[in-house]
Amino acid sequence: MDGDEDINPFRTEDDVSPPIDESANSDSNAAGEEEEPETATQSAKTSLTISPMPTTNKPFPSPYKAAFPAAPKNEPCCTRDMWLHSGEDVEILIVDALKTSEGSSSSYIVYVIRTGNVEARRRYSEFESLRNSLVKLYPTLIIPPIPVKQSIGEYAVKQNKAKEDAAMIARRKRMLQVFLNRVAKHPILSNEHVFHRFLDRDVSWSEVLHSPPLSQLPKNSLKAPAHDPADSSYAAVYAAIPTPSAAQPLRRPDQRFLDSEAFTNKFQNHLSGTMEKITRRSMKRWSDYSHDNSELGAALNGFSLTETGALANAMEKTGQAVDATYMSTARLLQELEQTWYEPLQEYTQFASIIKKLLTYRHQKHLQYELTQELLDNKRESLEELERNESEAKRLDSALTGSLHVDTATAARRASSDAEAEARESSQEPEAEEEGESPFPSGSVTRATPPPAARKRAGGFGLLNTLSHSIQGIMDVDPEAARRNSISKTREQISQLEDALQASAQDLRYASQTIQADLDRFQRQKVADLRDMCLSLARTHREWCKQNMEAWQEAKTAVDQMEPHPNRPGSPVATRPPAPAA
Amino acid sequence: MDADSDFQSVHWDSTPAVEEDAQLGFTPADSRPATATSPGFRTDYETTADDSDPTVPKWDGYLAVQVTDPVKELEGTKDMYISYAVKSQTNLPFFPQQSMNVRRRFQDFVFLWQHLSQDFAACVVPPIPSKHRAEYVTGDRFSPVFVEKRRLDLQRFVQRVANNPTLCRSTLLRSFLDSSEWSVSMHQQTAHPPDPEGKTSFFDTVTDTLVNSFSRIRKADERFIEMKEGIDRFEEGMGSVDRLWSRARARENDLSGDYHDLAVAVQGLGFLESGITEQLNHFANTLLEYSSLIKHNVNRTQDPFLSHLHSLQSYTAVSRGLLKLRDQKQLDFEDTAEYLSNAQQERDRLAAIRDGHPGQRAGGISGVGGYLRERVDALRGLDDDRARVERMRKLDVKIKDLQAEVKKVQDVSEAFNDETLREQAIFQASKQSEMKEMLGKVADGNIEMYQQAIEEWDAIIPMLQRIRVDV
Repeated sequence: MDGDEDINPFRTEDDVSPPIDESANSDSNAAGEEEEPETATQSAKTSLTISPMPTTNKPFPSPYKAAFPAAPKNEPCCTRDMWLHSGEDVEILIVDALKTSEGSSSSYIVYVIRTGNVEARRRYSEFESLRNSLVKLYPTLIIPPIPVKQSIGEYAVKQNKAKEDAAMIARRKRMLQVFLNRVAKHPILSNEHVFHRFLDRDVSWSEVLHSPPLSQLPKNSLKAPAHDPADSSYAAVYAAIPTPSAAQPLRRPDQRFLDSEAFTNKFQNHLSGTMEKITRRSMKRWSDYSHDNSELGAALNGFSLTETGALANAMEKTGQAVDATYMSTARLLQELEQTWYEPLQEYTQFASIIKKLLTYRHQKHLQYELTQELLDNKRESLEELERNESEAKRLDSALTGSLHVDTATAARRASSDAEAEARESSQEPEAEEEGESPFPSGSVTRATPPPAARKRAGGFGLLNTLSHSIQGIMDVDPEAARRNSISKTREQISQLEDALQASAQDLRYASQTIQADLDRFQRQKVADLRDMCLSLARTHREWCKQNMEAWQEAKTAVDQMEPHPNRPGSPVATRPPAPAA
Repeated sequence: MDADSDFQSVHWDSTPAVEEDAQLGFTPADSRPATATSPGFRTDYETTADDSDPTVPKWDGYLAVQVTDPVKELEGTKDMYISYAVKSQTNLPFFPQQSMNVRRRFQDFVFLWQHLSQDFAACVVPPIPSKHRAEYVTGDRFSPVFVEKRRLDLQRFVQRVANNPTLCRSTLLRSFLDSSEWSVSMHQQTAHPPDPEGKTSFFDTVTDTLVNSFSRIRKADERFIEMKEGIDRFEEGMGSVDRLWSRARARENDLSGDYHDLAVAVQGLGFLESGITEQLNHFANTLLEYSSLIKHNVNRTQDPFLSHLHSLQSYTAVSRGLLKLRDQKQLDFEDTAEYLSNAQQERDRLAAIRDGHPGQRAGGISGVGGYLRERVDALRGLDDDRARVERMRKLDVKIKDLQAEVKKVQDVSEAFNDETLREQAIFQASKQSEMKEMLGKVADGNIEMYQQAIEEWDAIIPMLQRIRVDV
């Protein structure tokens, strides 16, 4: 699986130089420039005033393109990759859905995926697992949705189970194909070898699942670098970073992402609450209307049989026009479902995917803030310890220098020593109490710390208490204890500094990547909305055309009927009227 | 069965060449070739009425009536009413003018209808729209929608009257369409019911039936059975079309609402997507426009169609009523004939007794009655022979009367048959032309809607295409 690691643009970049390339930042728009101080060190910024990203009128800024020099890679990793990046407008097709029971006790449906001249067969659960894998591999990217497990297409006229199943399979087939093509068109995801192997006929999916990078993914995606969760070399660093709850508020939230979140919520509500509902309702209505027309057409045709001549013909043609409306409405309904309703559903799913993504970023941000606080606390206590230490040293040197032992001074020293110890001991147990957050911020809710963190913190705490009590009992040299704790704190600080750096990088990477992918998503959304509206318009136009033609034929037949004999243009009327009686 | 075949061949659409030939009347050429080819045979309608087949209707000219321009009269008073302009164009000889223009109110139409129904019992007098008491109570009878619907109904009513060549000759209709002293005519009409008018109405006042109307016709006439079945099928067809069409109409109405909501939703999406707000607003407008096109179609095409269909249904019901009346006339005849034959049998029996053949009795009720009468006569000690002669004399008179009566009733029945056939042909012509009008209007309305909708969609497509896409 080395090959696939090579092709990962994040990995190659970051492996070489862990700090994210600053060029990406300076290339990007004003927002990018402001961003620098944030990641530079600590608390600096976060008050970015970027317009809610999705709705800019200006040509979409592309920090994205700078962030990921979208990979015309040097060498394709496999033939699927070669095909996908052949430069032509390739489309992955799901050409068939077959019922099979291969390797299973019960039968299931496999979808035949055609990429170029290769056909792979995957079942729904494998799509699901591919998607989950991509979500884990790329926690900062918007991974396109796959159709939900239970079809909510309740609008469909349910006639029997089998038919319903067939409709569900056809629907899945369409939406899975959309999913694959969205991945294939994504500038980063399309390079993922895991994806390539999914498309490969000769690869067993379970094998892919059990080999790197998927096998190396950590259980908790927050305990791994955002740019490459499968890279376990950072495990030690991440061990020091807390895992916060998503519900915990940020101290310095990023306005951009707050706006994104608010927008996404509105978007989702509008789509699922309003648009989908109305669409479902009108589809139900169209379906009924189609049915009405089918019956009415039949009634008119039957009615025409009871008449003769031109009237019968006119009635029959009218019946045919109504029949044509029935047929065209059935087609309209199908188009409406595929080009309007399904994308709406997909975008509702997109919205919740984005919300998850924003939550992830929020947590990454929290991690950074919490690590920062942790570090500050440690530094403070180290300072305190060192102050005590230097005080002690000064006293020592004064004592040794003056040659006589001043009991008063000794007493004072002893008391200050005790003070310091009290401080120390009061601090450590607190850490133990509060789990992973050894700094005093009790007002905020804490998630349950991951086991590792608790163990470690608990370990320290226990050790400290122990050493204190031992010191207390045995009256060990307090100076040694203090030095011991100074070195321990220093160690922790250096650990936390590493963690903070990693976390800062992570946050920066996550923010940039998510922002970039949101920008990309926004462009994709505009394009899709355009296509949706266009196809809705075209479908209706086509529907109107077909119906109009049918009615024009009916009209011709009606016109062929003789008019009533009592009319001015009638033959008799052309004769001069008889003189009035 | 001559009349029958004539009736069956009456199809106004079957002779498209008729229009070309100014000499041809409305009688299909194949049914009356002799008269149809003789020029000028119809200049004088009196003679035409005599020499043509009574079962085939003829139109000697045209009478076109328009009901338009409803105006509120006495506005503001409690006697406010709506008057309508009734404009007629005709070339019929018995109308004093070719162009007539009067104003009439709903009551006048009702009066005309009532009296036409009384005077022309053998005609299919078109139904008058109902008074819609609900609207009178709620005061909605002056609402534009109601007035327009009533105007259309009244228009249909007068045009149907005008389409009936028999009713055209009514003097009442003439004064309705022409007279400036219509109220005088109304009084005259009420005070002095006119004499049976023209040859068609001499039997219209024939008294009602001698027997109960539950009797069944003994000798069913196939022509009328067929006619009745035709009406049954037509009513059935109209019924199912009405039901389904109304359902589809309701659905269209709902769809109009759905598209309105969708338009609002798309506009809402436009608020969210600030980059394409303008285009989405345009798209929402198109959806809104589409919604109102559907609504317009429902109001201006589907609703009038359904309302016309309902009107045609009641017209058909009147036509069915005439068939029932005809059956009644036949029953009258059959019952009178039976009465006559009973009297004749009785007389024959008496004659047989006198001739010494008392055993030759006609069976049945009269036989038993005759026997009882003999016994009663014997008890009273009357002279059998003298009594018998007396009774035979009476019977002879009765038979003579009855024969005259049977002749009369038969004439009535037969004339009624002819009249019915003719009225049916008239009704068929009206029905066909109304179906043509209905279907034509629906087709036109739909074509117009689709045409406009296509234009709307056509206009929005380039607008949407201009959305900048950068993927």
